[in-house]
Amino acid sequence: MASELLTISGLSAGTEDKPILHDIDLSVGAGETHVLMGPNGAGKSTLGHVIMGDPVYKVSSGTVTFDGQDVTDLAPDRRSLAGIFLSYQAPVEVPGVPLYSFLRTICQMRPELKTTARKFRQRVGQIMAELDMDESFLTRELNVGFSGGEKKKVEMLQLLLLRPKLAILDETDSGLDVDALSIVSKGIEAYRRDCDGALLMITHNTRILERLNVDRTHVMVRGHLVAEGPASMIDDIDRNGFGAYEDGLAASQGEKVEA
Amino acid sequence: MASTSTCLEGTTKAMTLAHVNVPPAQTWNYLKIDQIALSVPVPTSAGTVPTRLPRLFSRIGAGVGTEAVSWVEATTGDSRYVEVPRGTVREEPIVLSCDADAGEVRDSGVMVRGGATATIVLVSHGSGDAEGDAPLSPTPAATSANLVRVYAEKGATVHLVEVVAMGDERQHLEGIGLVAEDGARVDARQYLLGGGRVAVGFEADLAGDAATLDLDSRYIVRHHEVLDVNHAVLQRGERTRCDIQTSGILADAGQKTMRETIDLRHGGHGSKGNERETVLVTGDDIVNRTLPVILCDEDDVAGNHGASIGSVSSEQMTYLADRGLSDAEAEALFARALFDDAVIHAPEQQSLSAALDRAANVVGDDMAHDLASGLGIEPASADDPKEE
Repeated sequence: MASELLTISGLSAGTEDKPILHDIDLSVGAGETHVLMGPNGAGKSTLGHVIMGDPVYKVSSGTVTFDGQDVTDLAPDRRSLAGIFLSYQAPVEVPGVPLYSFLRTICQMRPELKTTARKFRQRVGQIMAELDMDESFLTRELNVGFSGGEKKKVEMLQLLLLRPKLAILDETDSGLDVDALSIVSKGIEAYRRDCDGALLMITHNTRILERLNVDRTHVMVRGHLVAEGPASMIDDIDRNGFGAYEDGLAASQGEKVEA
Repeated sequence: MASTSTCLEGTTKAMTLAHVNVPPAQTWNYLKIDQIALSVPVPTSAGTVPTRLPRLFSRIGAGVGTEAVSWVEATTGDSRYVEVPRGTVREEPIVLSCDADAGEVRDSGVMVRGGATATIVLVSHGSGDAEGDAPLSPTPAATSANLVRVYAEKGATVHLVEVVAMGDERQHLEGIGLVAEDGARVDARQYLLGGGRVAVGFEADLAGDAATLDLDSRYIVRHHEVLDVNHAVLQRGERTRCDIQTSGILADAGQKTMRETIDLRHGGHGSKGNERETVLVTGDDIVNRTLPVILCDEDDVAGNHGASIGSVSSEQMTYLADRGLSDAEAEALFARALFDDAVIHAPEQQSLSAALDRAANVVGDDMAHDLASGLGIEPASADDPKEE
């Protein structure tokens, strides 16, 4: 087991009026690849946002420890600077902000990434080429008018520029055609290869996992982590779905399970 | 009615233009939004001064009002007239600049003949940033003006870029008038980047069928600056379309008044007008006035307006926070982005230099040149563009 990078202990969280996550325990070691799976509405994306510190969600109990530091009460910007990256399922449009200005600003804030404009431009150009992105995107407003695939590529571009210690990819594969999926997969591979960062992949689609060596698989049902195991669990879920896990949770909670 | 009043700065006599930027439909007086008054130097020309441009241009409104137009015509020493021949594509931008430091008052007319394409660049630039944060009221002697009227004939395409960038010791009057005949298309980008007291009028008459206007207006108002804007679009032709997007930053004790009028006239069947303003407020002592109006005298038309005032959406702020930006840093990004966008869309050297010079004053020299350096669009040191 690699040294622990992310440790979630007894975490319960939700919105002001609705509990969503219940008593979550999860650990990700440095450089490991974990997959979080579960049916729609299970709370997978919520977990990603809670790890990132999204103020929409309130933590009612438990802790999030990252790289040896308790970050449970830390603001999202501080968590980002500490090395956590959340790739959005639906990246937000920010009118009025050219992509270049945004990328340059978020990199210059990090002492380890600070560089001259020309070197930065060169680095961005290399990554965009890898992601098959036209450089004209740099002068367009952040995500405004971008297709779903283009937005996901911009997320990958940020991932490769920021080189975080932990990347949480929230359904990065959703809504992508075959070509875009292939390019995004290459981006994830490049992150693993060049940055040696840890990955927590939230996904329904096992195709994006084909090129990755998955260390652990977690299954979430109705806000509970109900199973954890090796990569082989993914094939089992592919064949049989989440029914057994849903029934198991219902049974453990004393609910009647229909045959 | 203009009135002569005081004597300032030695021999400079001043007069007041009492009704600048009056919108097509006015509202309650007590809101103090119906016009701005400017104290300006008395023109040296006496009596009625005939316009030096072809007569056609005297019928084009420029949003600032007839009183202000008459003052410009009487004050300017000369007028500039440019014609783009029928069916041609003019590659070189038409640059209509105004040096605010020299107190220039310019009056220009551009005729874009049928089917022709042209890029028109208005650059009103100057220095003159006062020391310290004390409120400042520019003197009439520090007044400049740039008045441009454009006639786009049938099927013409006009790209318009406007940069107003000067220090807070300057007072500036800027007026743009446009007439678009059948099928003429106008896209305009306005960058209002500074000035102690700036009045900007923009009036477009979509007179022809299927004429279109896309106006993207961006501004930053800070310290004790006053920005007063009057956008007015008359949609008279059938199936005309106009889209006005305005966004800006109000900081410190800046004051902004934004009037946006879409006037869907009788006979303009099938026309659509859309206006939207977004304001990012970062100062505690700002004054933010907005007057969005849609006038309608036709059944078969659609008009929309909306305003988002206060701050960036929580989703956007969370996204930026997730990338490491605190609220203050995100606001600084928006300011930087405004100048970066002006630099990106500057079509020639004068507008580029004006945007960069102003950016250096507002966001700092390093940040101002960061994008230009990164994208390789630094201004050339020689071969300045030709002035029209």
